[in-house]
Amino acid sequence: MMLKTMRTLFGTSALVAGLALAGAAVAAELRTNIPADPGMIDPITYSELVAGDVLGNVYEGFIGLDADGNVVPALATSWEAHDDNLGFTFHLREGVKFHSGRDFTAADVKYTFEQLLIPGNRGGLNASYLDPIVGAQAVKDGTTETLEGVTVVDDHTLDVRFTTPDVLFPIYPFYFMDSGIVEEHGPEWFNSVSAGTGPFRFEAWDRGQEVRLSAHEDYWGGAPEIDGVRFIIVPTGDTAVSMYEAGELDLVYAADTAIRRILVDDQFEGQRITAPAAQVQYIGMNSNLYEPFKDPRVREAVCLSFDRQAMIEGLYDGAAFPLYGQITPGVAGYNPDFPAIPYNPERARELMAEAGYPGGEGLPPVKMQTTEPNRNLHLYLASQFQEILGMPVEVEIVERGGHIRAMNAGEVPFFHWGWSAGYPDALYFLSQMWYGPSPYNRGRWQNDEYDALIEQAQQTPDEQERYKLYHAAENVLMGEFGTCGTTMRMQVAVKKPNVEGVALTPFRFLPFADVTIAE
Amino acid sequence: MIGYAMRRLVGLVGVWFIAIVLTFVAVQFVPGDPIMALLSDRSGDPVLEARLRADYGLDRPLPVQFLDYLGNIANGSFGLSFRYAGTPVIEVIAGGLLITPMLALLAITLAVGLGVLLGIVAAVRQNTWADTAVILGLVTGVSIPNFALSAFLVWFLSIKAGLLPVAGWGRPEQLVLPLIVLVVPPTAYIARLTRTYMLEVLNQDYIRTARAKGLRERLVIWRHALRNTLVPLLTTVGIIFGGLLSGTFVVETIFNIPGLGRLAIESIFARDYPVTMTIVLLFTVFYSLINLAVDLAYAALDPRIRLTGGAG
Amino acid sequence: MAGGAVPGAGRSDFLLRFRRSRNAVIGAAIVALVLLMALLGPSLVGHDPAKVNVLDAWRGPGDKYLLGADALGRDVLARIVSGARVSLTVAVSVLAITLTVGTVLGMIAAWFGGWIDALIMRTVDIIFAFPELIFAILIAAMLGPGTSTVIIALSLVWWPGIARLTRSLVLSLRSEMFVDAAIACGTPVHRIMRRHFLPNIVAPLIVRASIGVGFIIMAEATLSFLGIGVQEPTPTWGAMIRDGLTQLRTDPHLALWSSLALGVTMIGFNLLGDGLRDILDPRMQER
Repeated sequence: MMLKTMRTLFGTSALVAGLALAGAAVAAELRTNIPADPGMIDPITYSELVAGDVLGNVYEGFIGLDADGNVVPALATSWEAHDDNLGFTFHLREGVKFHSGRDFTAADVKYTFEQLLIPGNRGGLNASYLDPIVGAQAVKDGTTETLEGVTVVDDHTLDVRFTTPDVLFPIYPFYFMDSGIVEEHGPEWFNSVSAGTGPFRFEAWDRGQEVRLSAHEDYWGGAPEIDGVRFIIVPTGDTAVSMYEAGELDLVYAADTAIRRILVDDQFEGQRITAPAAQVQYIGMNSNLYEPFKDPRVREAVCLSFDRQAMIEGLYDGAAFPLYGQITPGVAGYNPDFPAIPYNPERARELMAEAGYPGGEGLPPVKMQTTEPNRNLHLYLASQFQEILGMPVEVEIVERGGHIRAMNAGEVPFFHWGWSAGYPDALYFLSQMWYGPSPYNRGRWQNDEYDALIEQAQQTPDEQERYKLYHAAENVLMGEFGTCGTTMRMQVAVKKPNVEGVALTPFRFLPFADVTIAE
Repeated sequence: MIGYAMRRLVGLVGVWFIAIVLTFVAVQFVPGDPIMALLSDRSGDPVLEARLRADYGLDRPLPVQFLDYLGNIANGSFGLSFRYAGTPVIEVIAGGLLITPMLALLAITLAVGLGVLLGIVAAVRQNTWADTAVILGLVTGVSIPNFALSAFLVWFLSIKAGLLPVAGWGRPEQLVLPLIVLVVPPTAYIARLTRTYMLEVLNQDYIRTARAKGLRERLVIWRHALRNTLVPLLTTVGIIFGGLLSGTFVVETIFNIPGLGRLAIESIFARDYPVTMTIVLLFTVFYSLINLAVDLAYAALDPRIRLTGGAG
Repeated sequence: MAGGAVPGAGRSDFLLRFRRSRNAVIGAAIVALVLLMALLGPSLVGHDPAKVNVLDAWRGPGDKYLLGADALGRDVLARIVSGARVSLTVAVSVLAITLTVGTVLGMIAAWFGGWIDALIMRTVDIIFAFPELIFAILIAAMLGPGTSTVIIALSLVWWPGIARLTRSLVLSLRSEMFVDAAIACGTPVHRIMRRHFLPNIVAPLIVRASIGVGFIIMAEATLSFLGIGVQEPTPTWGAMIRDGLTQLRTDPHLALWSSLALGVTMIGFNLLGDGLRDILDPRMQER
């Protein structure tokens, strides 16, 4: 083990020294930053953001995204819904090769689904999309390892059957893996080999330092121009930008604390890339825990008493947009005619008086709980609520893991949080965040009419019809001010002038298949 | 001498055991549930939670967990990390194991060398403006917070002047800035101490005798005064080293060095108890070994110490 | 031993030497300034350090805010003055606790010897085994962030040093003649401690304390910088430096002024400590 460390240390130094000497020959590697080690490097247990940024270049699912965030076919070229709406038939792309050289077939998709569900594998985020499939519960219970509802019709045709309708199934993200890899390399295969179909193959992970990917020559979309990607681990956002300035990084996705520097400093002129983030930010008001929130007038008053424009200018240096509803622009199902919520302190005070709390009299004290990165935002909101509504608000900073658990358990009375879209459709926001039975309904707002609309939408295959249902649901939610949107942040990145082909979508970077680096 | 060394070593093992117990207990009190941190956004899933808890042995009674912990130390794995599910702690920290001690040892060597030199200069030129200037510089050196110093250095030397790389590890240039930041406070401290001891020594009778005998000034300083200055200085090296180890936490974080210090801070925030415990333990062992080495050196130079069993 | 025998002469002698020592005078001046800032508080400055004014975020030094504003548009000068209060409160609390606990335990260990001595000294050794800041970080992580945590953590780290110093001082005093005489007269233990020991250990303790204040303030700043110290919305220099450093390139005023505040305060206490040691430490008197 000691030897391995020595070898790693010397190996890395030698490699870097060699690279420095070789100079132009290997300059065609994209160097970008990630804020921490990925939580995992295998596609099955995948469950966090940083891992997603890396694995998205190595693995693919049925669909992918284009530069505007729209769905495009990837490993599935087309699909049809079953007549009874309880399933889909997928036609898979031909001529796709895994990094191992094997052909991609329907059997690999079924294998991936089964691996996600088998209990011992600790299937991550992608496993939750498989719940509606016939036989999924049996696999999760451990009674079988075969997923009954998925049938391999032939090498490139796959049939999936559901117990309840799920019209969005085709656009759920997946990472299909090579079914032969475990046999060849054992259960720890992911530490040394790559089992995806994506434009890059996994090469190595130097813990604490970087993750390296190299180009997949036989990629179905055409071999990448660059030789590989190095995700260099830089925990401090500021340091990443400094490294970029010094020429040590080619592409930097800015952490919150570094955004202002990039926007304000002229030297980044022409190098900035921005895209709105497909993330709804909202205010959670849990009426189970704070009496006054039971009254919709109080909730409306809260929504009227902060100034989105001031937040955008002061807190975000202009890198944000006002958000009023619970669907962000750029996500399918967005309602462009959604009415704006003004900043209206007088009306807010009137409402509080009507509700029986004139000037905040009679309001019990309440704590806004959040994590360190959101501290300034909460301090601003708290000061607004105190000044305008007379609400005795205190801000408490807690650590992230416990906070998320508390929110999920419905234990946080008052908070501001966000929710990022896992797939490009508004139903993701509406069903995960505000649907009654959802475990992630952290504000614990519940309305039967709303729930009914959501259930109906889940079964409506026609897009336009479905979007109408989304709008109706959103109106129910916002009509009684179950919550309110605050702002939609902009993602900010910088790239060196000699780098082209980078696409920043509302769902973060696209895989780097089309990137070129000029000399 | 051997007897003294043996006795101290045995005492150390006792201290290490208590350190193990203390870190284990301490970590039980850290607020924040590591399983929740692991689950993060998926914490709505109680089945997954129960399974993870069992995987990590967190559902067992505390004394059993402690025995597990001892066993893990014995077999060298130090348990499993929470953040990097399923990975033994030793693998997570392997990269940093060599880096941080190397940084610390390099820094202390430089600090002692530079510090003693500066201290001698100040002592010899006592009460001249050179002396005051040096003292002011030294006091400032101990007073500037290292995180501020790092940022300003990076600004001037890396970005404005483009002379040195901003951060990272692997090339010798990347060592320069972190070492400067690490070395400045202990150098200043050692220099001040050297100056104080040197002045004290220079006023002793035997120095006056040596001068009266007509010995050259340089010989007086180097051979006689220095020898007696170094001995008391040695005893403070241990404490200085402790400060240096702590300094690596901040420096590694700012300069993106994949060492134990940065890992420790990250693991505290990520509630990765096993990694935190292991790193604190390793730092303590390393620190106590350095102290032992210092004490042995001191005992070798001053026989009174080993005969009476220890100072104070 | 200079100090205890003739108290009256000692005091005026002390003041005379104090004024002669350049270090002590400059140091005392700086410390007095910081104390003044802390006592008068932000009312001195005019702006409310907690007033959020988001449209003024990162506003540079100028007519509205003398030293500029931070990320929430709060006045930097007001926050620096408030920060002085926090740093000094922590320092004074820690000193009060450690000097009391450390002196008492040290005296008990030295006087009674035997297993009491062994117990106390073993505890001291164990705490000494941990590098200082790391121990503080561990305790702070354990107790959760906050001002009281910082005080407890730093007190736990610092008392062993005081105890060990007290013990060795008392041990050497114990062998003096006047102690035997006092015991022969039947003087109770606590009176011996108060009347004979205490005055003689005051000087070295003062020196140790004044050097310690610097460490304590820096440690508090480091803990706050790492995020496990004093929490918002209470302003503290460490946290201000951390916030300011992220914007060093575009808005240096926050990092600059809070670093300066911390640095100058540290210099003041260090100079004062140096000066006091020069004066009070009997070994140095020949100079």
